[in-house]
Amino acid sequence: MPVATENRQKIKEIVCDILELEEDEVSDTSLFREDHDADSLRAIEILASLEKEFKVVIDQSELARMVNLQGVYEVVAESTGR
Amino acid sequence: MVLTGFGVFSSIGVGAVEFAEGLRSGRSGAKPITAFDTKGFAHANGCEIVDFQPERWIRNLDVDELGRASQFSVAAARMAIDDAHLDVETLREQRGLISIGTTDGESFDLDQLVESEIWFGPENMDATIARRVRAGRLSAAVAHELGLTDVEAVTIPTACAAGNYAIGYGFDAVRTGEVDFALCGGADAMCRKTFAGFYRLGTIAPELCQPFDADRKGILTGEGAGVLVLESLESALARGARIYAEVLGYGLNCDAYHQVAPNQASVARCMELALDNAGIKPSEVDLISAHGTGTKANDITEARAIREVYGDLPPRTISIKSMLGHTMGAASALAAIACSLAIVHGFIPPTINHVTTDPECEVDCVPNEAVEADLRIVQNNGLAFGGNNSIVMLGKYEGVR
Repeated sequence: MPVATENRQKIKEIVCDILELEEDEVSDTSLFREDHDADSLRAIEILASLEKEFKVVIDQSELARMVNLQGVYEVVAESTGR
Repeated sequence: MVLTGFGVFSSIGVGAVEFAEGLRSGRSGAKPITAFDTKGFAHANGCEIVDFQPERWIRNLDVDELGRASQFSVAAARMAIDDAHLDVETLREQRGLISIGTTDGESFDLDQLVESEIWFGPENMDATIARRVRAGRLSAAVAHELGLTDVEAVTIPTACAAGNYAIGYGFDAVRTGEVDFALCGGADAMCRKTFAGFYRLGTIAPELCQPFDADRKGILTGEGAGVLVLESLESALARGARIYAEVLGYGLNCDAYHQVAPNQASVARCMELALDNAGIKPSEVDLISAHGTGTKANDITEARAIREVYGDLPPRTISIKSMLGHTMGAASALAAIACSLAIVHGFIPPTINHVTTDPECEVDCVPNEAVEADLRIVQNNGLAFGGNNSIVMLGKYEGVR
């Protein structure tokens, strides 16, 4: 279930905004915690912003997969059902 | 330094007598929240005080000019003085300290102001409510109500350990002779901001608070106040006061390790500071009243820190938050009162809602039923966001030594 391109861009914007990163600093596979000094509170902020933006509910257990952009794309794709 | 009067507002009992009964019988304060609109939350239980009548306790001030947290602190201070059989006229001749800890201050009022700002614009914010919001009023209003002018009135905002900070400050002020008496404790009122914040963090339990349980799901927010009268032993003996317990010492530290995650080494260090300050050895401690919020993170970290200091056979370690929820800035003040009542009445309050102890929280939490016990020394933990820790050591008063 791929995520639409415009959604991917929006997700990237949200993540970069919360982690205070420029978009060229983050790749699909760079790790929020290890590579970008994020902590668990930032992860929850990302989750909350995605829920608001896409009008979905994401279970907190999904945080374990939301370690990089790729993981976030997958979780959002599943929660939006496409 | 001894404790001679208690003012208690909690969801399991008002006043020291009722509170002690609630603790002994394992009463639960959990019920659906009515303090604010909970629409949109999948679950919304809390430990509210539903029948609070501030006019019964606040005689001189206009209760409408006080936020709910200040109403709690003023009412609890009045109750504590009555409980200690202190004459207000006499107190007015003495030097005193009023130290009240809080997490949220009057955030319930802030919630209302923000709501009216959003719906109706800032010009329509209620002026009376706006006047109530300063956190300093939690302590200043006590001085106003009682007509105490030769006092320092301070509100200590070190979040969920603030009650113990306030007691520690009172202990030092009385011990050094700076003041003749201290009214210290903590107060907080339920508010949407704190509920929503903890909810967003995934740390609000759907129904019940189950500290140290393998299946624990988080906290329940609560409210209330605990105010303690602290005076020197000489002062208490001279006026023939009933003595609940001695304050033996306290420890506090702030590690600023993380906004919300507790740090094990720092919590252990705080226990050592409290033990050193009180001049006692770990082997002399009979009971630990844990911070015990019922979150995954707190209970594991706290239990491990306890074992770091106490070894493989720590004293029984209970959480009264299982009964009255997390009363935030009031929590460690109410717990200090609970510890003192446990010492006086010879019992250990249970950790209720307990099914199976988490193997990662290796403590005897006295599940579900209170037990009889002769307690000489009790440790009261308060751990807060930002790594603000404060621990108070309480002892049985066993006569003049």
